Amino acid sequence: MPVGQEERQFGARAGTATLEKNGNSGVAVSLENVTKSYDGVTAVDAVSLQVRQGAILGLLGPNGAGKTTTIRMVMNILIPDEGSIRVFGEPVSDETRQAIGYLPEERGLYPRMEVRRVIVFLAALRGLSESEAEKRANEWLARFDLSDWAEKKVHDLSKGMQQKVQFICAVLHKPKIVILDEPFSGLDPVNTATVKDIMLELRDQGSTIVLSTHRIEQVEKMCDSICLIDKGHNILAGDLRAIKQSYGKNTVNIEFSGPDGFLNHPAIASVNRFASGAEAKLKPGADPQEILKLAVESGARINHFELLEPSLNDIFIEKTGHA
Amino acid sequence: MRKTWLIIKREYLAGVKTRAFILTTIGLPLMGAGFVLLIMFLANRQPTQTFRLVIVDEAGGMAWSVSQGLDAKLPNGQPEFTIVESVDRPPSPDRVQDDLRSRINSGALDGYLLVPADLSQSAELHTHNPGNFSLEGPLTAAVNRAVILKRLDARGVHVEDASAIANAPDLKLIKVSKTGESVEKGQSIGIAIAVVVLLYVSLVAYGVITMRSVLEEKTTRTMEVLVSSVRPFELLAGKVLGVAGLAFSQLLIWAVSAALLVSYGALMTKASGATSPTSDVHIPGSLVVYVVLFFVGGYFLYSAMFAAIGAACSSEQDAQYLQWIAMGPLVFTMFIYTLILTDPSSTLSIVLSEIPFFAPVLMPLRISLQTPAFWQIGLSILLLFLTAVGVIYASGKIYRIGVLMYGKRPTIPELARWLRYS
Repeated sequence: MPVGQEERQFGARAGTATLEKNGNSGVAVSLENVTKSYDGVTAVDAVSLQVRQGAILGLLGPNGAGKTTTIRMVMNILIPDEGSIRVFGEPVSDETRQAIGYLPEERGLYPRMEVRRVIVFLAALRGLSESEAEKRANEWLARFDLSDWAEKKVHDLSKGMQQKVQFICAVLHKPKIVILDEPFSGLDPVNTATVKDIMLELRDQGSTIVLSTHRIEQVEKMCDSICLIDKGHNILAGDLRAIKQSYGKNTVNIEFSGPDGFLNHPAIASVNRFASGAEAKLKPGADPQEILKLAVESGARINHFELLEPSLNDIFIEKTGHA
Repeated sequence: MRKTWLIIKREYLAGVKTRAFILTTIGLPLMGAGFVLLIMFLANRQPTQTFRLVIVDEAGGMAWSVSQGLDAKLPNGQPEFTIVESVDRPPSPDRVQDDLRSRINSGALDGYLLVPADLSQSAELHTHNPGNFSLEGPLTAAVNRAVILKRLDARGVHVEDASAIANAPDLKLIKVSKTGESVEKGQSIGIAIAVVVLLYVSLVAYGVITMRSVLEEKTTRTMEVLVSSVRPFELLAGKVLGVAGLAFSQLLIWAVSAALLVSYGALMTKASGATSPTSDVHIPGSLVVYVVLFFVGGYFLYSAMFAAIGAACSSEQDAQYLQWIAMGPLVFTMFIYTLILTDPSSTLSIVLSEIPFFAPVLMPLRISLQTPAFWQIGLSILLLFLTAVGVIYASGKIYRIGVLMYGKRPTIPELARWLRYS
């Protein structure tokens, strides 16, 4: 083993010691002021973040926000220019990434290997016996409707099927931490739902999940906490419930027929009009009751009136000023 | 250790099943045998056409004597040379030669032999194809013989039967070695060249296979998944050993089939009562052991380098540039080996064969030609294996950083910087 690796290990052991002293065991992954730039472009700028053990963290933001760079640094694939990253209290190293099941953004499978062989090989590398790996591979392949493809070569599969195989490889060995970079890309709604179900199952079994995606609306219901990233900056992080509550119920969903002139009321900040009604975002301090009253008075027939928390998308737009 | 074993197994199984492996295992020996047969055919090819020759005798009185020496017959019974014409002491040699040249160009003549007035000067053969080596031997012998007879004549020695004096037997070469003597018919050189080619080709081929395999994991991003379960050094070790398994399987298949073929050939020739063409070829067991030993050392040295190069690059094109770092020393041995062939014990040969990057090819070459002192072999092996360990260590570092580095091809100074990281 190279000398450098030994040094890293010593570093890691020192980290364990401080961890035990602090009793800081609730955090699976923590980033502190992490910065990374390529050729003068800052991809990740002073991001700090904590992922609670046993929670699902949504790492959200538009394309090019710095999500993948952040994940690669956690995986010790990229080395941050500044700041520190810890996994279970230990500085990231070749060793810490062994605890992580990883689904990279791009496909990472041997194209000329048979599907089941790849899965069994990667699982065996994670310490499973080959017979156990094979048993679990068959179960997972069946669950994803891929049993007929088990003997086919990876490059014969469609992009969505490869994505499913890659997902199986990331979770088959039940890792303590699962990092999924755009897990839904190429998946149809049925498979997207399956992947979501499995993520919730894994969380219930105690795994910590980091989920990175640019499709904010797709994941907001399943995340325990979120981290919104834009242009390398962490613009909002924390418990999803707490964040939403801090914004209050400032959106009105109103279904009606008849005149819609009441939607021009000055207390309404923005309107999203549908065939059967509208979603209106109120200005801070505005009273939703006022809007209802105005609507009824204007002659509109109200079928449904509901106060909503802002969607993550709305919060993101408000925070960044762009979609 | 278990993980390294899993990688070895995968690498081996993935390699064995490729079309390239099956094709080279069957195809390369066939191609090699084809080349040997072709070379033997070309070397033994006899001329079938009588050579139409004019002798321009500027010395005078030589033409007849020369033509006497050109009485050889072709395999088809025709004379090898016909003397179309002899010109004795031409008054204007330039004009005669001009005329002869135009006759050669028109195809009426194959060549003319110019015997100079001063017999200490070289005779000249003017022909349209001076590359035809089968002419050189008989013509040189005929001219030499004529000159000797002329000089004897000048000293007053008159000879009735010229050939009894001037014809000498051919030289027979006998190789002396510690295991005894054997008649040399080119088999020593043959074995030596076979050793050089075998080692060079296998070191390059298996090195490139290792490099490609690393590169495939990088370009398909499988590497990102692999490093989340395996340490890069385990990955490097598994890869190098897996391809080593491929190499030994292939070489073993070749060796066993060659041995079977030779013994079958010997059996058949013995049955038919003829002498076997391979009976003179004796490959000492010690040479085989040394070739294997140097191949092992050379393989680890070079495949670790090739693996590191694969790790440092992000595409085949990049790798094509950087692979010269590893390929260079091997190609150099192909340029230099003829020097060692002619003088295997010179200081230059000794020094070159001790340099670890050349030793895997050049030391077995020296051993096959003229077994050097044991300390030279021992030192060479020691240096080779020490260097291999050092190179594997350095490659491990480059690999560790390179496997996850994408983007532009690193420069050599950058690679050097990677060595100081981690």
